[in-house]
Amino acid sequence: MKRSIRLTINGFPYEMEVEPRRTLLELLRDDLDLTGTKEGCGMGECGACTVLLDGRPVKSCILLAVQVNGREITTIEGLEKSDGTLHPVQQAFIDHGAIQCGFCTPGMVLTAKALLDENPRPTELDVRRAISGNLCRCTGYQKIVEAILACRRDGEKLDGKGPESGS
Amino acid sequence: MTIHTFSIVGKRSPRIDGKDKVTGRTKYLNDLKFPGMLYGKVLRSPYAHARIHRIDTSRAEKILGVRAVVTVEDTPKIPFGSYRSGIKDELIFALDKVRFVGDEVAAVAAIDEEIAQEALSLIEVEYEELPAVFSIEEAMRSESPRVHEGVERNIASHTVTVRGDPEQGFREADLVLEDRFETPLQIHGYLEPVGCIASWDSSERLTIWAPSQNPSWSRLIFSEALSLPLGRLRVVQTPIGGAFGGKLEQNLYLVAAILAKKAGRPVKMVNTRDEEFQTSMPRVPMTIHLKMGVKRDGTLTAKEHRIFADNGAYTKYASAVVNLGTYRVDGLYRLRNIRNENFLVYTNKPPTSAFRGFGNPQITFAMESMLDQLAEGIGMDPLDLRLRNAAEPGDITAHGFHYISCGLRDCFREVADVIKWKEKRNPKGFRRGLGISATTHVCGNRSFFPLFDGATAYVRIDEGGRVRVITGEVEVGQGLLTAYATIAAEELGVALQEVAVEAPDTDFAPFGLGTWGDRGTFIGGGAIRLAASDARKQILEVAAEMLEAHSSDLDCRDGKIFVKGTPEKTLLFSEVAARAVYTHGGSPVLGKGTFIPNSELADATRYGNVSGAYAFGAQAAEVEVDEETGEIRLLRIVAAHDVGRALNRATTEGQIEGATVQGIGYALLEEVEFERGVMLNPGFLNYRMPTALDVPPITSLLVETIDPAGPFGAKGVAEPAMTPTAPAIANAIHDAVGVRIKSLPIPPEKVLEGLKKRKA
Repeated sequence: MKRSIRLTINGFPYEMEVEPRRTLLELLRDDLDLTGTKEGCGMGECGACTVLLDGRPVKSCILLAVQVNGREITTIEGLEKSDGTLHPVQQAFIDHGAIQCGFCTPGMVLTAKALLDENPRPTELDVRRAISGNLCRCTGYQKIVEAILACRRDGEKLDGKGPESGS
Repeated sequence: MTIHTFSIVGKRSPRIDGKDKVTGRTKYLNDLKFPGMLYGKVLRSPYAHARIHRIDTSRAEKILGVRAVVTVEDTPKIPFGSYRSGIKDELIFALDKVRFVGDEVAAVAAIDEEIAQEALSLIEVEYEELPAVFSIEEAMRSESPRVHEGVERNIASHTVTVRGDPEQGFREADLVLEDRFETPLQIHGYLEPVGCIASWDSSERLTIWAPSQNPSWSRLIFSEALSLPLGRLRVVQTPIGGAFGGKLEQNLYLVAAILAKKAGRPVKMVNTRDEEFQTSMPRVPMTIHLKMGVKRDGTLTAKEHRIFADNGAYTKYASAVVNLGTYRVDGLYRLRNIRNENFLVYTNKPPTSAFRGFGNPQITFAMESMLDQLAEGIGMDPLDLRLRNAAEPGDITAHGFHYISCGLRDCFREVADVIKWKEKRNPKGFRRGLGISATTHVCGNRSFFPLFDGATAYVRIDEGGRVRVITGEVEVGQGLLTAYATIAAEELGVALQEVAVEAPDTDFAPFGLGTWGDRGTFIGGGAIRLAASDARKQILEVAAEMLEAHSSDLDCRDGKIFVKGTPEKTLLFSEVAARAVYTHGGSPVLGKGTFIPNSELADATRYGNVSGAYAFGAQAAEVEVDEETGEIRLLRIVAAHDVGRALNRATTEGQIEGATVQGIGYALLEEVEFERGVMLNPGFLNYRMPTALDVPPITSLLVETIDPAGPFGAKGVAEPAMTPTAPAIANAIHDAVGVRIKSLPIPPEKVLEGLKKRKA
């Protein structure tokens, strides 16, 4: 029997009727067409389904929609501003070549955003720990880590290998 | 064209598909929904080897919401196989026997996945379990059960190749070593599960949407398996979430086609991750017996390998992996006397197939390990031994490969320099060590499609000056669309953002052999350079008329066309494009380019220059070994790759970094456990691919030899970058603690055991 839930997703309020066993991932992708969040394994083991729950990264494929009643969700679609300006983490991923096939990217970006919101000056180890639950098979993680470190609040960059440096 | 400074080539431009990917806009297969679409599920065999006596689908058909249930009876029952293997041992569904756990038996299409799943459980199959074979040794015994009828000792193929005089070569050697190496199964582990949507239209034309690495080519196989004329089959490539060789032809697409036909509605099917592990056609495991001879002065005199490769239950690309893919390494050093013997053996396990490197990581692990053993045996530095024998530009190898550009020596030197080889090689006793290794790879391979190797591309310019590249080749995440846009933009003098590149739809794209064999940039890009050059010629002719000049006096750069040396005589690219279209009856400017590399079909002994260019690389690893626990701490990887020219430095480094990390997984972490044909760890938790915490700093060095045949001199890098990593790590472990591990992966237990033996 369906249950009523209320959610805020990317700043918008939603009221929905859901089966108790519907996962948050299914609700986002199938019911709301927010397909930016991906299913990589359906078992909470790869991180592709990562969304932010009240600002903290969670694996939406193993969360039930009814469990997040009344809470705030951020998906990848919610990061860019309405005028199209990208979130600094998104921009950094583009600038540092941190995207290849792109399938892990939404989950990775959200995990990174959550880290930087909590710790504006993470060390490299902090970054690697934070994203250790997001598998990537394409990039080897190096440019992802560089991109996230480049977003540290004081703007300190690594070895100067930014975009268009032509080196 | 004499451009001395490039506008875009060689820079770190952002990928053209980056913004869509980073905002979640890119629609992968599973993000697509069509009206009236059904969901399909496959019933798979729970047995490794069993006869099918009876299948009863009647109960499944009655479930509310089920629209079709299919078995082999709904198919043309035409055996098919990977193109050119010569072996066609597969059917869409099992006919009389299932041959591995996961083999397709039946399928259901229903209005949602849950109902399809429920219906699956109501399909009754009467199996008679048969004795099975799970290892190559078991399979090759004459009294063992046959996976396929009539195949003696389960040997799917057996080949022998001899070059020069190996017997004589071994006689001349001062040291001959023989050893055995084992390389395991490896799962591709791409994050996007395989999926497709199949739909038949009212004229009985089938369209398959899928993340396919080879849409044009796979069509040939599907056409045969479905008994459908080629003209009635269309494949549309959807954005790919990683492939690495695992997204060539998929049986799933055929199942979906059969379901869609019966149901009369589009059917979407997506593998669960469990199914991915069971059926994803992993890397071919090999047992490699290797024998090599060397003179005291370091000259290699002979090489002999005997490989036993596990085909799994059906023949996919393992045949080419073993009979072609293990030959490239023979050209790395100047070997003339070679004997290669390959056995490809059926077992009742998942069919094995193509995975980045295609046999090269397997054989290179063996040879690069043995090279270190030989060096130790004659008291020579392993790097010096390699440099003594390393291939050079102008070489023609024993298998007939012509090396035009070859930066192997530069790769060795740069790696040695950056990792500080001389200083940091282990003065006996410390737990830290350095290991070095190398690789060579083709850039495309003529052997796969007898009719041609090459590519055709079109560059289309419309009245707004918008450039569109039309190709049959495939972006799998490696940055190929960006490479193609770069080539076209550079040639036409427009900004990168002005160039769109289409993913192939076989109704519109040229026949593209696809993304495999490291061919995308060298061959596909070669066609784009020619097509862009053709379009440029046409544009300049129109501009010449507008500027009252001769087209040879014109140049294009930064979106403008101008008379060289006369800056006032300038037009906008878009202006000229508009004029071109309107003065030619509305026809867009259409540049066409066909690139046929200078390669040849190998003869019956597999001799021939099968590629138009060859890539080279060297890698070194620095490790620290904990002698108490056997744990290996990777400190650094340095990788130098001869890429011809890096069209985009960021994406090229990205390929090296990603490949190296797959190599780390192959070397240290990734192992599938089987028990009687059942995979015990079919998931990311227990099949350990590297996470961000498992990766040391990786330094990529791009060696640019500017290949004369490549687009702007570019060759390939994606596949070779994975090959040297595992042997470099194994060699580093030996340098650190004197333990030689000859089987992958290398968990701490193996190191500990080796340490115990060494102390004994």
